[in-house]
Amino acid sequence: MNGAGTDARRTGDARRAQVCRDVFLVSNSVDELGGVTSWSHQMARLFLARGHRVHLVGIAPSEVPQDLGGEPPYPMTTLYGTRPPPAGPERGLRGLLDPAVRHRRRVREAGMREQVDRLSALFRTARPGGVVIVTQVWAMEWVRSADTGGLTVIGMSHESYDYSRGSSRFGRILRYYPDADRLLLLTREDADRWIRRGLDNVGCMPNPLPFMPEVASQRTEKVVISIGRLHDQKGIDMLLDTWAQTAPRFPGWRLRIYGSGEDEEMLKARCTALGLDAGVDWMGRTDDVPGALRGGSVFVQSSRGEGFPLALMEAMATAVPCVAFDCAPGVREIVRDGEDGLLATPGNTTELARQLGVLMADQELRDRMGVLARQNVRRYSTAEIVRRWEDLFAFLER
Amino acid sequence: MNTMRGPAAGPDVSVVVIAYNDAARLPTAVRSVLEQTLHGVEAVVVDDCSTDGTYETARALAAEHPGRVRVFRLPENSGGCGAPRNRGIAEARGSFVMFLDSDDELERNACRNLLEAAERTEADLVSGLCVRVHVANRHGKKVEWYPWLYRHSQVLESIGELPDLLVFDTLSTNKCYRRDFLLERDLRFPVGIHYEDLLFSARAYLAARRIALIPNRVYFWNVVENGDAAARSISNRRHEIANFAHRMEIHRRIDELLEQQRLSDLKFHKDVKFLKHDLVLHLRDLPLLDAEYRRRFAELAAGYLDGVDPSAYAAAEPVHAICAYLLRKQDWDNLLPAADTLANRAKLSSPLVERNGRVYWCAEHLDDPEGRAVLDVTDAGYHTGPLERLFLRNRLTSYGDDGRGTLRLAGNVVNPLGRIARSARLRGRLEFRPRRKGLRTVHCFPLTALRWGDRYLEWEAAAGLTHGLRPLGVIDAVWDVRLVLDVDGTRLRTRISVDGVDLDGARSLPVRPRLTRLVADHLLPEVSRRGHLAFRLVAEGAVASRATRSIGGLVTGRPGSLAKRGLRGARQVRRRMNSGPTKIGVYHRLFCRLPVRPGLIVFESHLGKQYSDSPRAVYEELRHLGVPFEGVWSYAGRSADGFPRDAVLVRRWGWRYLLALARADFWIDNQGFPLKLAKRSRTTYIQTWHGSALKRMGFDEPRLRMMTRPAQEAHQRVLDRFDHFLVRSEHDVRTLAAAFRLRSGVPVRTGYPRNDPLVAERRREELTGARSRGPLAAELGIEDDRMVLLYAPTFRADASGKVRNFEPGFDLEAFARRFGDRITLLVRAHYLNRVVLPPGLRGKVVDVTSQHDVTPLLALADGLITDYSSLMFDYALLDRPMIFFAHDYDAYAGESRGTYFDLRLKAPGPVAETEEELFAAVADLKSAGPVYAEARQRFVAEFGEYDRGDAARRVVELIALKRGTAPGGPA
Repeated sequence: MNGAGTDARRTGDARRAQVCRDVFLVSNSVDELGGVTSWSHQMARLFLARGHRVHLVGIAPSEVPQDLGGEPPYPMTTLYGTRPPPAGPERGLRGLLDPAVRHRRRVREAGMREQVDRLSALFRTARPGGVVIVTQVWAMEWVRSADTGGLTVIGMSHESYDYSRGSSRFGRILRYYPDADRLLLLTREDADRWIRRGLDNVGCMPNPLPFMPEVASQRTEKVVISIGRLHDQKGIDMLLDTWAQTAPRFPGWRLRIYGSGEDEEMLKARCTALGLDAGVDWMGRTDDVPGALRGGSVFVQSSRGEGFPLALMEAMATAVPCVAFDCAPGVREIVRDGEDGLLATPGNTTELARQLGVLMADQELRDRMGVLARQNVRRYSTAEIVRRWEDLFAFLER
Repeated sequence: MNTMRGPAAGPDVSVVVIAYNDAARLPTAVRSVLEQTLHGVEAVVVDDCSTDGTYETARALAAEHPGRVRVFRLPENSGGCGAPRNRGIAEARGSFVMFLDSDDELERNACRNLLEAAERTEADLVSGLCVRVHVANRHGKKVEWYPWLYRHSQVLESIGELPDLLVFDTLSTNKCYRRDFLLERDLRFPVGIHYEDLLFSARAYLAARRIALIPNRVYFWNVVENGDAAARSISNRRHEIANFAHRMEIHRRIDELLEQQRLSDLKFHKDVKFLKHDLVLHLRDLPLLDAEYRRRFAELAAGYLDGVDPSAYAAAEPVHAICAYLLRKQDWDNLLPAADTLANRAKLSSPLVERNGRVYWCAEHLDDPEGRAVLDVTDAGYHTGPLERLFLRNRLTSYGDDGRGTLRLAGNVVNPLGRIARSARLRGRLEFRPRRKGLRTVHCFPLTALRWGDRYLEWEAAAGLTHGLRPLGVIDAVWDVRLVLDVDGTRLRTRISVDGVDLDGARSLPVRPRLTRLVADHLLPEVSRRGHLAFRLVAEGAVASRATRSIGGLVTGRPGSLAKRGLRGARQVRRRMNSGPTKIGVYHRLFCRLPVRPGLIVFESHLGKQYSDSPRAVYEELRHLGVPFEGVWSYAGRSADGFPRDAVLVRRWGWRYLLALARADFWIDNQGFPLKLAKRSRTTYIQTWHGSALKRMGFDEPRLRMMTRPAQEAHQRVLDRFDHFLVRSEHDVRTLAAAFRLRSGVPVRTGYPRNDPLVAERRREELTGARSRGPLAAELGIEDDRMVLLYAPTFRADASGKVRNFEPGFDLEAFARRFGDRITLLVRAHYLNRVVLPPGLRGKVVDVTSQHDVTPLLALADGLITDYSSLMFDYALLDRPMIFFAHDYDAYAGESRGTYFDLRLKAPGPVAETEEELFAAVADLKSAGPVYAEARQRFVAEFGEYDRGDAARRVVELIALKRGTAPGGPA
């Protein structure tokens, strides 16, 4: 975005200060393990700190709960006691005739009506100027049937356009969201693609930086860091192939891989087969991400798919320059290729190795990009993102 | 409504709605303003002194929505859009201003999205996508207006960053302007002239400090197509000369503006667009207009064209440049046919001439260097393409009827470069076909005369329509006329261009439709939109007229729509029956349950495009050895020409193809049978593959590596269909077999069957010490004393993977000048490419792209020039000189895929990077032979060690082995 907008924003700032709103954050569940839950609670705390009244709503209990770190300072409501049965895929004649299917549907619909009414009652408690933020597509099925009169409804999709396209969420977004006041994507590029697909109420809103560490990395250790689940999506197999091309050129350098996951054994076997064991450290899961990053000079990401990767933001906040596959709009939005990090064609391990080598060989370049990265990533600081949200609330009322 | 701003603040956006005599549609337009998702919007209605109650309608709207609709009226009618819009600007109170015409609508979120972008970017002007809605269209046709300008959000600091915006999107209505910007820069519409939008937009673009573009649809432009002239909007009456004068004047003013600001780049882009677009609108109608119009038109145009940047001609498409040039020269004889090509882009409307080895549009103006450049149409390939692909202009020269229902026509057909030879057997007939798709009736009438004239074929016909043509009635209301020529068995279809013949006075001819004369009783000639002769069924008698009216009611009423729906449903069922998913389902669930037929072998080469390569070599070896088997060849094109007569030929993806694959004992191909078809375990798949790899393949390609695990596993299942995979060397095993993750045992070290003749050729040469040329040399007309070089570059793809057009990489004409006296250069492009060679290269450079099989070409060539084509690996077997023309190696190798090795290090011949180096290497070819002999041996050892000349036989053994052990044996 252009820096030219600052003045206009300041005046907006002053005007906005008095408005305190009721903000409902509606998700599939309030504590399902994953990025959306972390995001919801982070935003809830930030809104709360700005004087808004926040209420978290989950449709159903989580399947794998996330540790919320104590009782949150805002109310949470979960509509269902147990997960409602799925609508079932039966279409056409079978869906019409099969008594079991019809019964299941009737039960589901009755349950839905009941919960929608609860949701409506909850929404009616809001003062004028209230906002409903629907973070996930499934939750939207309830919100769109509820009474949201007088409230601003903002839908969200926390994944890239391409990723949605590969799932049933794609069609549901097209069906459920045209009447929302806004549908927010993580990047302008993803928003543009939804717009071209026929939705004309789309905007974008990046995720806030999870933390801004006091101490930055000095980038003097000969260590390349990777942090991510050991899962196919993170492409650690391609990282190993990349390292096989890089390592011989940089004796003394080590690759530290943080994370655990289902592919661990397979990846370790591959590492051994490639003869890389001497230079690769498998660090397991870490709770101290800033500490892990401080010990590195370059961060590498070789994912097959991403939304708005926090790992890159965290590395940049620690002043560690990133090298990554340009696999999603979120990646090129966060990392400015050639300015505060380097990108490579997705899947081209030779190119990734070359880019990695550029940074490993040049301390001065690492320093320049690292320092710039820490500075640039501030555009996602919590204060900045909250400001953008509040501006959006005000804008949608005009 | 907003609670934060005081009541004194104006709205965010004022939408200026202009109207003239449009009381019926105005409320819809205003409603689209009031129903915006942005609340702070007002409608400023300006009535251009209407006489139909528009003003009263507007007043009523204002009363209904006080404070949100305000109405103004001009004291007298201005006749255009400029004056009312200017009044609107003056009256607007919003921070931003938009324009809306009373017959159009705004998208619901338009104001919100435009305002958001304006505030976010602080642009003076924000523009969004306009959509043309064809109101009368049955299928709700919608066309986006220059969507490529609006693919994604953009911020421009100046219009110079995107000249095409100024050049193409000349509308003022799909935009939102900061009001202060309009006032400060004094931006107003010109008054008293059409095309006021063009000038206003240009001025706004040039004045804006920042411009933002958003991909959102913002404006629905309702287009009325089929209405009468009065209902058409002003900008649609383009055949009036006054309009053209206005257009020229507006262009002149914009050019002045660009000149003042020294924006020559913008001027260039605008000139190109003028040639490609503006001029075309007027030229297309030219054949239909009279001499007086033409004279005035030329006067207006010529003055303007003289100021057009000469380099713009090169950037426009050839036909546009030709028309503009001929117009400037006022060469009507050549321009009128060229205008026919403008309206019918595939049509060749000039007989052409050949001069100095190049092909020109006409014989005139060739002494003028500019004329020579513009009129050179060699690259269009009119002289080389197959005759039946040419769509030749056929001009009507006389029209009449004998008063007894017989039509008498005469005309002439272009004979380009005399390609329809006087020796040809020539026949022709007139065909009448109903225009509606799906009807298959054809009525034919033979020609009464057909003779060769100077550069044209002249014809005459008498068509007894009254007795010979029996339309059904109602559904076949329009009949198109074609003249079909048969030239030595080749069919040429032509349409009859009416220009020059006046049909206004033509009589209608009585006919008897099969649905009786109640539905219609006469055929009336007319000119189609593209200028061709057609006939329309009309009701002239009183009875027929009445009946037609009631039938019209039926067709558009309920019974008609029911019948149409039924017909559509039936068509849909047929489509679904033959769709891919149905076929795949039937293949797996039905065909694969049938017993496998021992000895049934399905062959395919390059996805059915050719009868070639190793599958062909295996097929011919089987035939040669007399092995009993049932051979099936798949072909992908329309015809199976060139495929073997002694095999069963099935069209790729046809039902018989699927049945053959399901029941086959063997699948043999070189690329891949359809991915979605599973192979039965009893079927043996011999994948011959089609070349050793320089570029990364399979799972070594980034694209495949990025696939998710389930997708990779699905792709692996496709590759795991291979039971045998032929390799030529351990290089193949290390690269291809590894990249396809083949099970051990699948790669078979036989070499490529297609290369057996090359090995044999080399042995023969070593044995006899002489090279003998096969029948192909004579076929291509190559004399014995000439050296033959084969130039076979690989194809290049752009970033999106689309194959780019063939470019030789060096100047073929320079090559011919330098070496043409002793060397014949065979040019073979990748089969995805097309090559056009100028006629001047005849005998010196020969296009051999269409030859199915490359092996005989390799055997014929005394040397090979290639860049990175895998042919190099095969040609090396001949131990003849090779030149590597690697002019863009880094770009090619550095492309997203990468290579397995550095070709420049292993190339067994000189590597040339420029044309000069290439020519030097060609001149020095003789010495390259011995110098690189050792390198070639190493190259063959590394990449072709298993090519020993017996590959086909060994594959046949592989087949025999299975069949010998299989229970039942051969059928």
